[in-house]
Amino acid sequence: MLRRYTSLYWFFLIQRFKILMEYRLNFFIGLTSTIFLQAAGLLGIWVIVSQVPDLNGWTLDQVLLIYGLLTLAKSINHMFADNLWVIGWGYVRPGGFDRFLVRPINPLFHLLADRFCHDGLGNFLVGAALVIVSSINLHLVWTPLNLLYLIVVVISGGVIFIALNLITATSAFWIIESIPVTQIVFNTHEFARFPLTIYPKAIQLFLTILIPYGFASYYPATQILGRDPGLLAWLPPFVALVLAVFSYRVWLFGLKHYGGTGS
Amino acid sequence: MNRLRHLFNVYGAVLAAVPKFYTAYRAWVWMEFVVQILAMVVLYFFWQAVYASGGALGGLTFQQTINYVMLAQMLMPLVENRLIFNFGWMLREGQIAIDLLRPMDFQARLYVDAVGNLFLNLLVKAPLLIMAVVFFQVQLPRDVTTWLVFIVALALGHAVMFFFDWIFSCLAFYSTETWGLSVVRVAVVTFFSGAIVPLQMMPHWLQTTANLLPFAQSVYVPVSFLSGVTPSSAAAQAWLIQLAWLIGLGVISRLVFRRSLRKITVQGG
Repeated sequence: MLRRYTSLYWFFLIQRFKILMEYRLNFFIGLTSTIFLQAAGLLGIWVIVSQVPDLNGWTLDQVLLIYGLLTLAKSINHMFADNLWVIGWGYVRPGGFDRFLVRPINPLFHLLADRFCHDGLGNFLVGAALVIVSSINLHLVWTPLNLLYLIVVVISGGVIFIALNLITATSAFWIIESIPVTQIVFNTHEFARFPLTIYPKAIQLFLTILIPYGFASYYPATQILGRDPGLLAWLPPFVALVLAVFSYRVWLFGLKHYGGTGS
Repeated sequence: MNRLRHLFNVYGAVLAAVPKFYTAYRAWVWMEFVVQILAMVVLYFFWQAVYASGGALGGLTFQQTINYVMLAQMLMPLVENRLIFNFGWMLREGQIAIDLLRPMDFQARLYVDAVGNLFLNLLVKAPLLIMAVVFFQVQLPRDVTTWLVFIVALALGHAVMFFFDWIFSCLAFYSTETWGLSVVRVAVVTFFSGAIVPLQMMPHWLQTTANLLPFAQSVYVPVSFLSGVTPSSAAAQAWLIQLAWLIGLGVISRLVFRRSLRKITVQGG
């Protein structure tokens, strides 16, 4: 089962890259575009935070580590689950979604595998660069155990992003145009670019319990920086798992209600 | 007189078509509203944390900075336009041939379109402005003069940006990569217009770069009046500089466009 899907994904990926390589310039532009878009915001943060001693007790490099972890998690969502954004107008409205339902593979898998989004590679590079540069400046020691922790929390963060987008994208089965719903929930991740301690308690709780983007950046960063957030440091994979199961249930529920647009 | 009425009728019709677009995309307008409120919450607490370590950054107090960043954040989308996509689309579909044949000035028509968008955007942003005052401690000027100074500066800045984008969009005549080009434009304009950080807070070399580019005229200049960063007594000088940019870019935009027209290649169609 797992092997079949892995090899299937591989086939989809090769096909996708064949398309992408037809338009090499487009591929390059897509990849660099996300880097450019991040640059303006990052330059702003650098300009401001480098002028003050610290941001609520966090130095510039520590803030950039938080930002980097969030960007890495976001890039996983961007690369592997970008189709969740366009399910409404790209698949449900034109009727293309029916195609997934008659095939002998999981429709959600088919939807996600249908388009690997190379723009996300740019985000991945930005996130990786931020983590590397900040950890050099902070003299962080990457033991194998730390590195494993980093990989686990980045993947968990990616799953949190994807699961939240899956829940909101499911609304396409009722309202078709799901992008506004997805955009609103997705944008709350901007809170998690900074140490959560700069926000009032209510917002901190919101980002921990309700829309748990905090587990994609702030809590792992506290652990990596040796500030010991306690149990919260070990929660990201569990939060990701619970959210993934829940979002898949929501998706199945939506799928039951799907009746096609009749087009 | 008759000619004037005719012009008014023609461009009035162009202007009236703009709100129709917005009512067709109501969910998107709501989405933008919520997304901007979220961004304002983040901004507020970020800047509070920045100022918590004391002092005045770039000579600005916390109050001035909050006024500035909130207003800049709201006004930034106003200077964005889809001119390059319009050009690209018109070229791809061959629509440009029809548009050039119309008995009105092509550039003037698109400018009126852009002004219509600016007005509508301002109306859409009004509730956001009220929220900024009520929830985020933004203080707006109470005297009419400052508001007038701001409106004139905004209109001039908007036109400066329009002419810059006109020149920039002419690249669509030479390259089909309009999307990639526009991404670079957004990144550069967002930072150097002062939409994220007021110019005073930038290090010297970034400040110099920002002053050599036209973008600060469209966000930094009007917003700094409205937020109380620049006193309205400095208005005359600021307007003159804006006007100089406007005339310079305006003339160049006409020249570049005329030259680009010779390059025209409509793809298939």
